[in-house]
Amino acid sequence: MSERTPVLTKQDLNRCGRRWCTMAVGTFNYETQLAASVVYAESKALRKIYPNDEDYKKSLNNQFKYFNTMPYIANFVLSAGLAMEDQDGLDALDAVQNMKVSLMGPLAGIGDSIGWILLPTIFGSISAYMGQQGNPAGLILWTLAYLLLWIWRTTWWNYGYKIGANFFSSMSNQISAFTEAASILGLTVVGAMIPTTVVLRTGLSFQYGDVVLSVQEGVLDVILPYLLPVLATLAVYKLLNKGVKMTYIILGILVLGCLGAATGILV
Amino acid sequence: MNIIMIILIATIAGFQAYDGYGTQIWTMNYMIYAVIVGLILGDPMTGLVIGASVQLMSLGVAAIGGSSAPNYGMAAIIATALTITTKQDASVGLAVGIAAGTLGVQLDVIWKISMGFVSRKAQEFCNAGKFDAMEKICLLGPVCLFLFCGFIPVFIVLLFGVTVTNFIVNSMPAWFTGGLAIASGVLPVIGMGMLLTYMPAKKYFSFVLIGFALAAFAKLGVLPVALIGGAFAYEYYKRLVAASTTAVAGGMDEDE
Repeated sequence: MSERTPVLTKQDLNRCGRRWCTMAVGTFNYETQLAASVVYAESKALRKIYPNDEDYKKSLNNQFKYFNTMPYIANFVLSAGLAMEDQDGLDALDAVQNMKVSLMGPLAGIGDSIGWILLPTIFGSISAYMGQQGNPAGLILWTLAYLLLWIWRTTWWNYGYKIGANFFSSMSNQISAFTEAASILGLTVVGAMIPTTVVLRTGLSFQYGDVVLSVQEGVLDVILPYLLPVLATLAVYKLLNKGVKMTYIILGILVLGCLGAATGILV
Repeated sequence: MNIIMIILIATIAGFQAYDGYGTQIWTMNYMIYAVIVGLILGDPMTGLVIGASVQLMSLGVAAIGGSSAPNYGMAAIIATALTITTKQDASVGLAVGIAAGTLGVQLDVIWKISMGFVSRKAQEFCNAGKFDAMEKICLLGPVCLFLFCGFIPVFIVLLFGVTVTNFIVNSMPAWFTGGLAIASGVLPVIGMGMLLTYMPAKKYFSFVLIGFALAAFAKLGVLPVALIGGAFAYEYYKRLVAASTTAVAGGMDEDE
């Protein structure tokens, strides 16, 4: 019973897309991560492929296995798998599982760094700067663009179903090159954000007779503008690399801020 | 802030909690929620400015691969509501908001643990042939997000928040308020540190330097710097792809 006639239509795939794009991480658990959401998204389509209860259960149990990748990109991976099952039925289960496992890691890497880090950092910092000056233009643009992206995203199952799994494997070279290049853009932006987002100045000053020397303007700014933000970034980077928890670092900053305010060292 | 406003704002918070994981339209966009809360309370401009501060603090901090991050959306909503209604300085509202958002991490962890039960139950329903129940129980995820990670905590904080905030502010010493203001300026440093650890900072350190110099000395904004960074990235991408295709074609092109 290997060769079967595909039964899924565009409507079925769009339905999967809508169900995925409203659920995604909405059932996240520590054991199987997004598995229940995958089942929720695909259940109607799988039922159509497997009218027989026992076949349907086998396929669902395959989808109940551990799965996690960046949810936007998961649209493609899951629909590519659905195409394989629509083509070969239960014979495709192992191939679907292998495809999901082998693609989810690399695609999560590129998806997370671009989708959750790079783009929000760029959009967020531009919107926040304009917003601080009372200008909502950046925020409006960001908000509308992402609303449109969401509407478009619900149709992505059609693309994944068409291009199938081979496409992703053959693209692996380009994907890793793209990730590398994107990190260059990200790091350039981070370099620019250290002086523009971190505010840290000292109020210390020395008095020699009548002459007052402000440490900030007379010493630090002469060595390097934004020296304190740079040092603070370096310190936090080292702490995070050593595995210190973010909560402790936040608490540490609060305590140092209070000490600095009490002594007048920081302003 | 009357009870209807509190319910409206708590509903926004519930949607924010759900959207962050479910629809993921504005997952990292916390400003928009601050502006909406501002609109409800008749002062969208304050919402915009406070949302911008929270957004800056959150840059680079993402809950990736199942990790939990402070709930900046909740922080932005609470900070905006308290700042507008108490008319205190924005740093006070921000402090309460960030504190609530940080506590929100615990709710996130509890929710994720309870979703373990939901997922196992769904699979049990599947094996018992109760396919309808299997699909329906998954909906508990979004419902719990809305109620327990958004609506209820924000409702409680806003119900008592104004009184408590005013009390705290009136009894707070100057070093503490000053400390909060300083800390809110420094906190974005965590995002920068996180970004550097996610990305190959050591390998491409030169680009961090270039970005820093463009902003610190040339006083360029983030957008022009991003364009310049994008130009570097594109050129590098072309070289990498060219190098990998010649390698595949059998050319022993030794560079880098």
